[in-house]
Parts: sequence; C-alpha cells; structure tokens
Amino acid sequence: MTVVSRESARVTPAIWQKVRRWWPKRWYAHLILILACFMSGIPLFYALIVSTQTNAEVFRYQFTPGSGLHENWHVVFYERHLHTYMINSVIMTLGITLGKTIFSLLSGLAFVYFRFPGKWLVFGFVLITLMMPTEVLIIALFRFINKLHWQNTYWALIVPFTASATGTFLFRQHFSSIPAELSEAAQLDGANPLQFLFRVLVPMSWNTIGALAVVQTIYAWNMYLWPNLVMSDPDMQTVQTGIGALRLGGGALRFGPLMLGTVIVSLPPVIIFILLQKQFMSGFTLTRDK
Amino acid sequence: MVVSPVILMLAGAAIGAAVVAYIFKRAGGLWLLGLGLGAIAGAFGSALFLAPLDYCTFEAGRESLDRAFGLILAAAGTAIVVAPLGWLSGKLLRHESLIEGQQSQGAFRHWWIAIPLLAPTLTILLLFLYYPSLETLRLSTMLSRLGARREVFVCVDNFTRLVEDKTYFETVVRTMYMSFFIVVLSMGLSLLVATMAYLPIRGASIYRILLVWPYAMSPAVAGIIFLLMFNPSGGLINYLLGKWLGIKLGWLNDPKVAPWTIIMASVWKSMGFNILFYIAGLQNVPKDLIEAGAIDGAGVLRRFWHIVWPMLSPITFFLLVTNLTYAFFETYATIDYLTPGGGPLRSTTTMMYRVIQLGVQNNDMGKAAAESIVLFLTVIGITVVLFRTGGRQVTYGV
Amino acid sequence: MKKLVFLSVVLVMMLALVAPGATAVAQEKIKVDVWIAFQDYRWDWTKEVAARFNEMFPQYEVVVTGGYSYETVFAQVAVAAEQGQLPAVVQFFEAGTQDARDSGLFKPIADALGDRTEILGLPVDFDDFVEPVRAYYTLDGKWTSMPWNTSSAIMFSNMNYLRAAGWEKPPATWNEVEQACEAIMALENAPEYCFTWPNHGWFFEQWLAQQDALYVNNGNGREARATEAVFNSEAGVAILQWLDDLYNKGYLYYSGAQGGDSWSTVDQAYSTQQVAMAAYSSSDTTLYTQMGIEGGFETVASFLPYNDDTGWTGNLIGGATLWLADGLDPAVEEGALAFLVYLTNTENAADWHKITGYIPIRYSAYDLLESEGWFEQWPNQTVAVQQLAQSKVTPATSGALVGGFPAIRNVVTAAIDRVLLSDDDPKAVLDEAVAEANRIIEEYNLLNAP
Repeated sequence: MTVVSRESARVTPAIWQKVRRWWPKRWYAHLILILACFMSGIPLFYALIVSTQTNAEVFRYQFTPGSGLHENWHVVFYERHLHTYMINSVIMTLGITLGKTIFSLLSGLAFVYFRFPGKWLVFGFVLITLMMPTEVLIIALFRFINKLHWQNTYWALIVPFTASATGTFLFRQHFSSIPAELSEAAQLDGANPLQFLFRVLVPMSWNTIGALAVVQTIYAWNMYLWPNLVMSDPDMQTVQTGIGALRLGGGALRFGPLMLGTVIVSLPPVIIFILLQKQFMSGFTLTRDK
Repeated sequence: MVVSPVILMLAGAAIGAAVVAYIFKRAGGLWLLGLGLGAIAGAFGSALFLAPLDYCTFEAGRESLDRAFGLILAAAGTAIVVAPLGWLSGKLLRHESLIEGQQSQGAFRHWWIAIPLLAPTLTILLLFLYYPSLETLRLSTMLSRLGARREVFVCVDNFTRLVEDKTYFETVVRTMYMSFFIVVLSMGLSLLVATMAYLPIRGASIYRILLVWPYAMSPAVAGIIFLLMFNPSGGLINYLLGKWLGIKLGWLNDPKVAPWTIIMASVWKSMGFNILFYIAGLQNVPKDLIEAGAIDGAGVLRRFWHIVWPMLSPITFFLLVTNLTYAFFETYATIDYLTPGGGPLRSTTTMMYRVIQLGVQNNDMGKAAAESIVLFLTVIGITVVLFRTGGRQVTYGV
Repeated sequence: MKKLVFLSVVLVMMLALVAPGATAVAQEKIKVDVWIAFQDYRWDWTKEVAARFNEMFPQYEVVVTGGYSYETVFAQVAVAAEQGQLPAVVQFFEAGTQDARDSGLFKPIADALGDRTEILGLPVDFDDFVEPVRAYYTLDGKWTSMPWNTSSAIMFSNMNYLRAAGWEKPPATWNEVEQACEAIMALENAPEYCFTWPNHGWFFEQWLAQQDALYVNNGNGREARATEAVFNSEAGVAILQWLDDLYNKGYLYYSGAQGGDSWSTVDQAYSTQQVAMAAYSSSDTTLYTQMGIEGGFETVASFLPYNDDTGWTGNLIGGATLWLADGLDPAVEEGALAFLVYLTNTENAADWHKITGYIPIRYSAYDLLESEGWFEQWPNQTVAVQQLAQSKVTPATSGALVGGFPAIRNVVTAAIDRVLLSDDDPKAVLDEAVAEANRIIEEYNLLNAP
C-alpha cells in the first residue's frame, strides 16, 4: 500500500503534493477514530455542561456552562450527602480489594507450597465457584445477609466478595512460575511460610497484585445491584446507588445536581483506569493461558 | 404411567453402571468394579434432587408436565453424579495428575499449615456462595415471603408455571436478543475502531486514551447519562431530532425503541473495554505475517479475514464470554436508571431484572429463586456452547 | 509490604469505627427511629420538626431516616422485621395497610395510648381529626395508625391553554376532558399533548371508587379478608377504555410504567408546559401552583374528572400513615407516641399542608389556615379537602384492604401499560390482570392469614 502511494505522489503536480502532505495519510482511519472519540465523548461532555446548569437552562438546551454550579454543588454536598456516599464507597472498595488480595495470596501460597491430602478436592471446590455468579444467588444471599443482621453494615458490602477463585488462581499460577529453589533456600534460613510469603513472594509479585487490585477497585466502585439491595439507610448508600437520590427534590428531575454527582463519582475509576491501563489489562489476561 | 422411586433408581443405576464400566474398561481397569461403582452412583444420582422433594412430582393429582419435570430432575441428578465419577476414575486409572501444573517442589513441611491459609477463602466461599446456592434450590420449591408467618412447599410449581407463563417466555427471548446485539455491536464496532487505532497514524496513543475510558464508567452512570440525553420529554436527542428532522422518538417509552436505548447505552459503556483488548490483540499479530500477505497481493479485507482475524480469535473468545456476562447481569443498573420498572410493555425487562422485581419488590422469593436457577442454566448453557464451538484454543483457570 | 500492612491497619481501624455496635456507645438519650418514605423537601421538613421535638424533650433523640419511595420502605420493613431491627415508627402507604395488620409487628395507636388525654404534656385529641381520615384509619373499631400525609387525586390545569381554547374552568368529567383536549389541540400554539397522569395503580383505584365500584371482594376487604380481585368490572374496563381513547387520539402524554419515576415525568411535562392538564396527587399542590407562577401560567386545581355515565360517588384517601412498632421498650414507645402527637399537632399539620398540599388532617389546622387567609390566597389548596369532604362514604370509596397490594398495583400498572401501547382489548387485559391478582392474593393469604 505504501508503495502505491509513493508512486502516485511522484506523478502528481506540485500543488497536489502539498495538499497530500497536509492531508493526513490514512484519513479514513482518522475519520473513523474521530467519529468514535466524538461518540464516546459527547455524552460525558454534555453531562459536564449540564452539571453547571439550572433545570431551566437544561431545558433551554444551552451548550455553554450555565449559572447553576454553585447551587448544584450545594444540593450535592449539603442537601444530599455525596461525600458520605463516597466515604462508603471508598471503605467498600478498599475492603474488597484488600480482602481479596490478601486472602488470594494466602490460598495461592497454600496451593503451591503445600502438599496436603485431598488437595485436588479442595482445588475443585474453589474451581467450581468460577461458575457461580453472585447475581444468580442474589435472592438467597440477600436473605442470608438479613439473617446475619448485616443489613446496612459494611460487612454486607465487603465480606461476601473477599474470596475469589480468580484471585487464587492468579497467584497460584504466578507462584508456580517462581523457581522452587527460593522456597528451599527460605526454609533453610528457617523462614516460616508467612515470612516467606511477605518477604520473598510478595515483593516478587507486585505486578500481579497491582493487576488484581486495579481490576477489583474498578469493579467494586461500580457495583450497583448488591449495595442497592443491602443498603436501605440513605446514609449508607454507595456512590452508585446514592446518586439516584440527587435528582429528587420534589417536582421534575433535577438534572444539574444529578450530572454533577455523576461526573464526580466517575472520576476516580476513570483516572485509575487511564493511568493503570497496563496493570488492568494484565489483571484480566493473566488468568488466561496463552 | 406409574413412576416410583425404585424404578427411577434402577434406571439411574443401569445408566451409571454402563457408563462407568465402559470407562473402566477403556482405561484398562476392572470393569466389574466400574459396574458396581457406577450403579451405586447412578442410583444415588437419580435421587439427588428428587429425594429432598419427596418425589412430589409423581404424586397423585400431578399433571404430566410435573412428571416430565421429575424425569428431567432424575436424569440431571444422575448425570451430575455419574459424569464426575467417570471423569475422575478415567484420570486415576490412567495415572494422570488431577491438577495440571502441579509442581509442589520446595513444599513446606507441616501440611496442616495450609489449613489456616485456606480457611478465609474456603469459609467465605462456603458461606456466601455454596450455602446460598443450596438455599436458592430450596427456596425455588417454596412459596416464601419475608415477614410472612409461614413458608409453603409447592414442589416444582415455581418452575412448571414458567412454562405456561407467556411473559416469561418473552422475557427470555428479549434477554437473548438484547444480549446478542449488545455483544455483537459492541465487539464489532470495537474491532473496527481498534483496527484503525492500531494503524501507524499520527496521534494513535491519544486516540487510544480517548477511546477506552468509558469502560471505567459504571453501568449505573451509563444509564444516568443516557437518561439525560434520551429522556423523551426533555432530552437533548429528541430536541435536536425535532429541530433538525421534525421527528421525536419515544426512546424510553416506546416499547419498540426502549430496548435499543438500553443496547446503545450498554454498547457505549462496554466498547472501551473491547477496544483496549483488541488493540492489545492486534499488537500480538506478527508484522511479517501481514507483510507476507501484502506481497502475495491479498487485498486489505482478505488479509484481515485470513491472517488477522484468526490470530485474534483467542481474544475474541475471551471478550465474548466477558461481554456476555456483562449483557446478562451488569446491564441491570443501566436498565434501573433508564427505565425504572422495566420499560414500556416490559420491553426492557431482562431475566435478571425480573428476578429482582419478583424477589425484592414483590417479595415473592420462591418464584424469584426458581427464575434465578433458569437464568443460571441459560448462562451456563450459552457458555458451554461457546466453549464447544469456539473456545478450544483458550482454556481458563487451571 | 509496609504499604500493605499500613493499608490493612487503616482499613481495620475504619471498619472498627463504623462497625455495628461500635457506635452504640452508651448513650444517655433514648433513641427513637422513624422511617419515612421521602427523600426530598418533605424529608428535610420532617427532620426539622424532629429537631424541634428533640429540643423540647432533651431525653429523646428522634432520628428520621428517609426512604426512596413507599414501595422501597415497604420492602425494607419486611427485611428489618426479619432482623429484629424494626424502627419505632414506620410510614406505610395505604396499600401496605393489610400487610401491616397481618404482620403483627405493629401496635394500634389506641392500644398504646389507652385512655390518656395527654402524653408527655402534649394534648391528644383524636376528635379533631377530619372525618374521611378517621373513617379510613379506624380499623376493627379503633385508631390503628397515626394519620399524617393524607391526599387525594385531583387535577391541575394550565389555564393559559384552557382559556385560549374557550374553557373558563377545568373540565369535570371524562367527556369534558376529551372535548377540552380537542379544542386545546386545535390551538395555533397547542401544547404537545393535552392530558397526562402518572401511571401509578392509585389512580385506577381512584377512578374505580368514583364509580362506586369495588377493587376486591368482601366489601373491599373491610367486611372480611379479601380473597378475590374484582376490578375487571364494567367500571374498570371503562377507565382503560377512556385512557386508551385519549391516547389513540394523541391527547394523552403517557408517563410510562416506571413505578416511582412516572411522577417526576409528569412533573417535567407539566412544568415545561408540554401538557395542559395533569391528574396528580394533591400532595404536590403547592409545587404545582408554584410551577405555574415560575413558568408564567396559572395553575388551577380541580376535582379528579369522573365518568359521565356513572356519576361521581367520591374519591379515596391516599398517602400514608405512621405505624407504631409493637414490643418497644416502654420509654421508647412513650417517646415515639409523643413524637407522633407532636408531628400532627395543629401548627405542624397546618405547616405540613402549606409546604406540600397534603390536606390539613385536623379541623383546628383547617381553622388556623382559614383565619390566616391561606385558602383565600391559595384556592387550589382547598380542592382536595372539598373533594374528600363531599365524598359519600361507601365500601368502594373507603379504599381496598388486601394483602400483597403493592404487587397487585404493579399488575394493574402493567395492564394499563399494555392497553395503551398495544392493540389488546381492555376487557381481556383486565381479566388477565385479575387472574394474576387473584394468584397474588391467594398466595398471600396462604402465607400470612392467621
């Protein structure tokens, strides 16, 4: 393809050559990409604009920042308590991510560095849970949480999600690739398994840990269905379930505060995602044999 | 036709015996032993689901639909017990390791230390996955409401009524077609965009960032933002359409259009993820392969189809499975914000949405549990079909 | 490694701080939990009242928790009950009445009060409550729950459109609505649609009651436990037929079957003058009047239009009441009762009416408002009061008592949805809905009947 274009350039007049130089190569790619960026960006861009507008301005379809930012801010943080929802979400996200990482590290360690009777059975026990999405158990899980009196507590948000077959396999696989001499040396030095895990394995696994953590953080922050079921107290909402209340002020939906809240709660995962894209991807692909 | 537990057990035993004996024989074991083991397993399997139900499907006064359901349960139970036994004995007889990649060199002494290490994970899996699974099975045979005085056992009525329920059938079909379009559109468009972004053009890295971020938005936020744009009375889209083309569409209140609004919002949200992985997949395609194709004089499309697409198939398969899960489960939040209540004429009510509506809002937990099980089987079924048809190159987990 | 340890320490500390129980450090104040179903300005108002109450009675701390909607609070109560964490006071909508009675979770106000005439020094006067309210919430011959937000379904009209179309006052009957719509839609600057209403089951019930038709059997469940739904009568079909006609003529702006959100859809359409008339709850009379003032048009409230063929018998009460949990600690119960009495005293009842449009539930509150000249200034605010006062009390206009009511409402809403959006015959659709409702009632009674 490049060959062809060079040839055609040679036979065209000088002015045409100038246009050609200015005209980007593979303009069709640019066209499609710009269109795609436009499509994905416009909704958020419009949300950003609306977040500064009063309802009257929203329905006037004005495409410039409006005069309602201050009032919307007041609604979001004073009338409703977005900061409370954000603290709840941070606690939930940290809890799930940390719990999952630590428990997965421990079970990965057990599967790689121990020989115990019935290991394959235990392994199968963990493996099968890959096929049990929480969503299809949600009614029973919801009942169980109520029996534990966990409604409106952080336990309900965090604990059920701290065990993970994916995480266990991720670390199992990673540890398997670490030479056995290391653990033999550690044992000779008299290190116990936990010391070995935290002093030797973890420092060698930051990439994997980071990968799992990024995926889990975004996942936890964006959870909706479960928090919606187990959190009824308005002060115990997470960001995803709490922003819905921003539109209610009596009367028509208040789009300004709703969009301001939406933009604010979307920033953390988007920033994490853009900055840690590589880790995110390896988190997803690591569980896959190539 | 009189069906008794004994007959079912005998049938189960016969099937189990035949299957396991055959496996024993092929693997060079004592086939008589296999016959015995298989018979016991088969008999046990046939009772696995039905014994807890007290064989209620065959009671006098039950309809033929119930009896058929009972037979299916017996068959499923037998399969669930016999298949793993066969698989396991085959492996053992051939002296194959049960877990691949088992190294365990440099293992620590004191194997029991593994117990506290595994305890948190196993306990949580047991309490929050295994127990709810069994509880779902139990609930699915009950009439049950929170706060009610009692629960009533209804045998398999919660399932059999689904067969007659026209709206349920519609929900299943709708879930399928919405999921199909979400997955296909999102992945197809992503592949196109990713191919463009992969080309050596100026600003490629900027494009990539601008393209993938919507993934980090939540399904709920996707719903909210689309609500702003598409709400029929005050939304931007209808305003612009009305101004430029003089038309207005019932994006959220026309039963023909509403599912497409959900599909669009979901595609918008999930494309970032797919683009990200397709770009990564394209980077793995060896350049010399493409160049070789170019020298052969193959056209762009042909080259793509014959060289690039096959190389992408593991990624495509991975994305298929991930997107499918998204379409079935995660769209709940988008639907809940865009069309709370499940849309005009229930046109955006997916199977997941129905489960929550039934189980939580209507407090009808037994039926919701039954529908959860159907949902589970549907997802598992589709995944198995995918694995059979396209997933041979890729293996998961182990 | 250090980071990880640090993070886990932080996490554990955070969890310890917020964990249940950790917060329950011995409090001297007696906590009274109150759950209501509002998360908007009505919640804010109630919190202010609670703050004043807490100031008056320092030994108590009333905590008002707002819920997303009646339906969600209703669902949450079942959950809380199973956990044994029922709050002292819960706001239940009228559709939850039967479930609340059957649950055995609540104590009739009359029982808790005994024959006292004051509580914590606050006077108790049940004779002061207006008649329709008393009729509705007296069950088995005694006050069961505390009336608070009582409304009725009325209609708001944009008089700019109506006058332009030659109507000096809002249409009163179904046919008149249709005629008015014809004229309005023929205007040069006609609105997009003429009429709208939130597709909430309550409006169907209102239109049914107007025609003196029952919703469920056994005298709407008031003579004996309801066992069957009967709303597929001629009256029921007529409602669907009328709505479908309006819709097919392009007069009706349909708010969709979206549960709680259909209300705000109507709000938006009315406030932006996309419709000329809206059937709505009187609960938002203040807001709708204000919408007109802000949008430059006059809003006039009127009785809910009725079927010309059957005439008008009366309308039912809507809204919700406050239920007192059973088995409370006596001190908590005392505080909860006192708060209920305080919340509904003359001044608060009048203020509540002013900011919302719920009817003044006390005669004394009505008199107070009248003496302030309130009704003269805001004539819209009397409409719901008049409508309820003029209603004839029959089993139909007393409203249905039936178990699983919220689920049945969803069935009715879905049926209306289907009639409007498909070509299906109203009668057939309603028959199917009744069959579905009967199944719900049967199952409910199976599980809950004593």
